[in-house]
Amino acid sequence: MMTGAYPSVVVRVVGALLSPFILLFGLYIVAHGHYGPGGGFAGGGFLAVAAILPRVTLPESLAYKLVPVHFGPLMGGVGMLLFLLCGLVPMFFGGMFLDYGAVEIAGIAASRMRYLGILVVEIGVGLAVFGAMVTIFDVLMDRSET
Amino acid sequence: MIVPLDIIIFLVLIIAAVLAINVKDLLAAVALLAGYSLFASLLFAGVNAVDVSLVEAALGAGLTGVLFIGAILATSRHSTAKRNLRRRWTMLPLIAAFIGLMLFASTGLPDRGDPEAPAHQGVSRTYLSQSLEDTETPNVVTSLLADYRSQDTLGETLVIVTAALAAMLVLVRREGDDEDDTRGSDPGGDTSGEARGTTDDEQESGRDPYADEREGGRR
Repeated sequence: MMTGAYPSVVVRVVGALLSPFILLFGLYIVAHGHYGPGGGFAGGGFLAVAAILPRVTLPESLAYKLVPVHFGPLMGGVGMLLFLLCGLVPMFFGGMFLDYGAVEIAGIAASRMRYLGILVVEIGVGLAVFGAMVTIFDVLMDRSET
Repeated sequence: MIVPLDIIIFLVLIIAAVLAINVKDLLAAVALLAGYSLFASLLFAGVNAVDVSLVEAALGAGLTGVLFIGAILATSRHSTAKRNLRRRWTMLPLIAAFIGLMLFASTGLPDRGDPEAPAHQGVSRTYLSQSLEDTETPNVVTSLLADYRSQDTLGETLVIVTAALAAMLVLVRREGDDEDDTRGSDPGGDTSGEARGTTDDEQESGRDPYADEREGGRR
């Protein structure tokens, strides 16, 4: 309805130019949470902005081809599942829920395992936040599929 | 933390908040709220809370603004707030009392960065000293959020996903819904006809704003 090509060329071009870089920055924020500010929440927010910006500025057919409507709920569910699975896996190794250090893989120290566990959790949170925000925007814009 | 800068930022925050409440054009209010979030993130960065600052800038200034703009596009751009003077005069002493209470309570808070503060006793010492050894993660905030306190993070993520699902439940129009229904007054699908039967009152409150909104939306 109200989404779609913005009348001004400047806005369209700037939106199209910026959104891939915002996407890249979001991925960087998600992956770089161990060493700098950021992590799943902020990174997921940037990813969602990168998906929403084309929806507001570009023609509808193009914007919804880049990130389809069903992507939002899908990513939200996948991210949430990833988080839950990451919590369940240590339980098979005799650890507690979300205790990544309990996972034993030959050659990887417990501290390294927790490092990797944090990474997987951050990716899950990022996907979940991305999916939830895109879903809310699509629903507000009356573009969701049931 | 630079005290004069903090004072300026606080002043800007208060002005932005008051303007955002009072301005008639809702798009301007959204822009003011985004500015508010940006200055709040500056404030957080000033006290070395870089993670909070980044989240505030990304979610507070970026995403919520976009969602608000989406809501404005779907409804109306102009607020039709009624000014009720009597309510304003009854609210004023309540707000003053609340601010007084908060200021009084703030005198009992420990100084910022005080190592003897209760928050810095107990587990947080272990987290701070053991984080690098336990998790190989230099950023303590990340190891806290995703490892030591990952169940909290699980809950937060669940809240966000649930919010998205709830928004879908409330706002999505299903087939068979009355086409005339506005999204605002749509109770969400398959309630029985009786429960849904609109009395005159409901119709008035449900339909009248719609007419306004349609005019507003076309502007």
